[in-house]
Amino acid sequence: MSGANALEVHNLVVRHDMLTAVRGLSFALPVGGRMGLVGESGSGKTLTALALMGLLPMGWQADGSVLHDGVDLIRQSDRALAHRRGRTISMVFQDPLSSLDPVRRVGYQVSSVIRRHMKTSRREAERQTIELFRQMSLPRPEQLVRAYPHEISGGQRQRIMIAMALACYPQLIIADEPTTALDVTVQKQVLRLLNGAVEQRGCALLMITHDLPIIAAMCDTVAVMYAGRIVEMGPVGQVFRSPRHHYTRGLLESQPTMDNIALDGSSRLTSIPGMVPPLHSLPTGCAFHPRCAAATEKCVAEVPTLEGGTRRAACWHPVESMAEAAAS
Amino acid sequence: MTTHTNAPLPTNEAMRPILEMRQVTQTYTLARQKLFEARPTLTVLDHIDFDVRPGEAVGLVGESGSGKTTLTRILTGMEQPREGHVLFDGRDVWTAEPSHRQLFRRSVQVVMQNPRSSLDPRMRLGASLLEPLRSLRIEGDHAARVYQVLDQVGLSRNALERFPHEFSGGQLQRIAIARALMSGPKVLIADEPVSALDVSIQAQVLNLLKDLVRDLGLALVFIAHDLSVVAYTTSRVSVMSAGRIVEIGKPLDLFTHPKAEATRNLVGAILTVESGLAGNALA
Amino acid sequence: MNNSAIPAVQAADPPTRRRLPRNASLIIGLVLTGIFLLVALASFFYLPSNPNVPDIRHRLLPAGAPGHWLGTDVLGRDIVAQLMVGARTSILVGAGGATLSLLFGTITGLAAAAAGKLTDETISRGADIMLSIPGMVTALVLAATLGSGALTTILALTAFFTPSFTRVIRSAAMGVLQEDFITAARLYGRGRIFVLARHVLPNIAGVMIVQFTLYFAAGILTEAGLSYLGVGVHRPSISWGMMLNEAQQQVGVSSPLAIWPGFAIVLLVLGLNLLGDGLRDVLDPKLSRRRG
Repeated sequence: MSGANALEVHNLVVRHDMLTAVRGLSFALPVGGRMGLVGESGSGKTLTALALMGLLPMGWQADGSVLHDGVDLIRQSDRALAHRRGRTISMVFQDPLSSLDPVRRVGYQVSSVIRRHMKTSRREAERQTIELFRQMSLPRPEQLVRAYPHEISGGQRQRIMIAMALACYPQLIIADEPTTALDVTVQKQVLRLLNGAVEQRGCALLMITHDLPIIAAMCDTVAVMYAGRIVEMGPVGQVFRSPRHHYTRGLLESQPTMDNIALDGSSRLTSIPGMVPPLHSLPTGCAFHPRCAAATEKCVAEVPTLEGGTRRAACWHPVESMAEAAAS
Repeated sequence: MTTHTNAPLPTNEAMRPILEMRQVTQTYTLARQKLFEARPTLTVLDHIDFDVRPGEAVGLVGESGSGKTTLTRILTGMEQPREGHVLFDGRDVWTAEPSHRQLFRRSVQVVMQNPRSSLDPRMRLGASLLEPLRSLRIEGDHAARVYQVLDQVGLSRNALERFPHEFSGGQLQRIAIARALMSGPKVLIADEPVSALDVSIQAQVLNLLKDLVRDLGLALVFIAHDLSVVAYTTSRVSVMSAGRIVEIGKPLDLFTHPKAEATRNLVGAILTVESGLAGNALA
Repeated sequence: MNNSAIPAVQAADPPTRRRLPRNASLIIGLVLTGIFLLVALASFFYLPSNPNVPDIRHRLLPAGAPGHWLGTDVLGRDIVAQLMVGARTSILVGAGGATLSLLFGTITGLAAAAAGKLTDETISRGADIMLSIPGMVTALVLAATLGSGALTTILALTAFFTPSFTRVIRSAAMGVLQEDFITAARLYGRGRIFVLARHVLPNIAGVMIVQFTLYFAAGILTEAGLSYLGVGVHRPSISWGMMLNEAQQQVGVSSPLAIWPGFAIVLLVLGLNLLGDGLRDVLDPKLSRRRG
């Protein structure tokens, strides 16, 4: 059943003492598929990623099931997971400086991953590392492998992290805000390289970010998270062109992008009122109801379910599509 | 996509600049590389001219390392430039008499990137808000001023007795803006004020800054790496690259006819949902 | 998708195991330290007998003897009375040394953090030099020049501990000085002294309190060591270290004599260390998370 999927998550719950940060997450990512996970801080998106990798911080605990490569990752021993990390699943983190060991040469850090998982000779691993650096368009790869992390730029470091993630031809790459810490002018290049490498190898991509344009450019499906649940999911084009959940629409309208502002300063963004609820006092029913203009008593009382086919929204009063709204 | 359309932001070209940099050059001396050689110097700002007028919002964009941070430090009086002048209300702040320096301190205030770090975690917010008044020895009804400023940034009075950790990033940024407003400044310098905030909160803070410019006639200097955020908030943008201002223009002109290479890079870096969906964003 | 299961998950009992030992160390530390403080205070008002007057007829009584719960020493002096007066000395010397080094360490640490590179280099290198001199040697030299006694011991501890306080407070203050609220305060015109007093000190108070309790304990240990070597306090003052010294001469005769002061030292030092650990977690949530 999970043969066609690179990742299948069923009712994932992540919690710590009283706090439940991820409250029943289910989604499937087909082999070679690209899914975006959108959310703000506190939405649970990063804890979801860490739970998938078995890297939850001390005190956090995951329940549910995460099927990948025929096994349930949540029920794997740490040793079995360690054997998988970097081989069948790998991850690209937000901050490339703190994810690289400052006292080891970058080439060594990549080639040691290859040697560990692929059991190749040192020379072969080094050759593959240089080849990976070349694929990542890193300048003078033969010399760069001998550099230390602090000697190179943030964009180069992140490209090395991507090279490391790709090194063992994983089935799935999880990228958590991979370009947030980078300069805007470098962001596009890094995304392009990641995009190309994922495409060429046919591996699945789970892209976690708050940045909607990145999802639009990189992914084919998107899941929008709010307060630990998926509130809307579906093909990127449909969700972004005609959002059904009010939170998704709010996100699309509240970020100044070239899509929604006039360039003489005359436009005014619609802001979502209020703030992201803290984990210890989540609203009842639909967690978004205190910030939602369309909320009714039903939204306060009952949790809306995420039902339907490929296009789903957990909302009692979904946004009418643009066409319907125009007609009425 | 916008709810209501306001008049375009004014550029106020007829008015005299309230805060101005003239031919400012800043160099740092680096550590000696060899024992008997002169210490190398690094030019961080190279003959910068920059100004902002009352009621005007100007933007400053550039990659990291372009000199934005140093420019901010000089504009706020944290650093003295090696060459050139910083003028407040037409007079050099580094050579004027102490009373003018004091006026400059009161009148130029800063909102920083990370609101959590910019408020003392061990101080109640009320005390944090009063700090500028006490420090600058501003007389008057302090309580009334606090309430007035809270209204201006849209916060309730019960925030005053609480500590920073009880608030979200967006609320703290409002409080940081409130503190900047306490001394009745004429210029507000906002250094990446929304990049540390949640996406759904950013619009609230940007709209608040825009309202302050309109309602209080403040001059706003908005520094950011993201050209679209700057374009939304300001009417005139300076593009920095390698310590120089390489282009100044209205946002529309910068987007449609970028002249400098740095501007073209910044414009080219912008991703939009539409171009992403069309499949040509990363081309 | 099974949404009905989710509220149940939220309502489930939280696993509270992790929080318990943290509070426990604070409580045990408070209780132990509190008991010794009370004993030391009580010794001013009540003693079972005079701990300095020999009573040869009742020498080397075993524990449980009538009127002498823990027995008497080789000269017939009551052990309980000696321990009570010893608690006074230990606490006075430990707290005195920790307080003075906290004071000097705070001044020098803040100066090093905030007064520019030259001051920092001078103070930091000075602290390094101080730390490279063995503490016992410092104490012996001081005892030889000033004469031994509680005050000399406090001074020796101060000389010994101050550089460590300087280092810890310097690095904690430097961390706070990098925060944006310091820049903000400087921008609306606050001077260095004000910033240090009103912004830096409150934010490093937790570190200071924890350091204080740990060096309080270290001071008690060092005092015991010095008195054991005979360069600490002398009668009529009494200290646990001195009691150990006296007992050591009688080990063949009566070994329990060495146990009681040793036990007292262990319990008070343990109490202070537990208190320090507990306070660290309560006062600095960031640190406790990292310690996990």
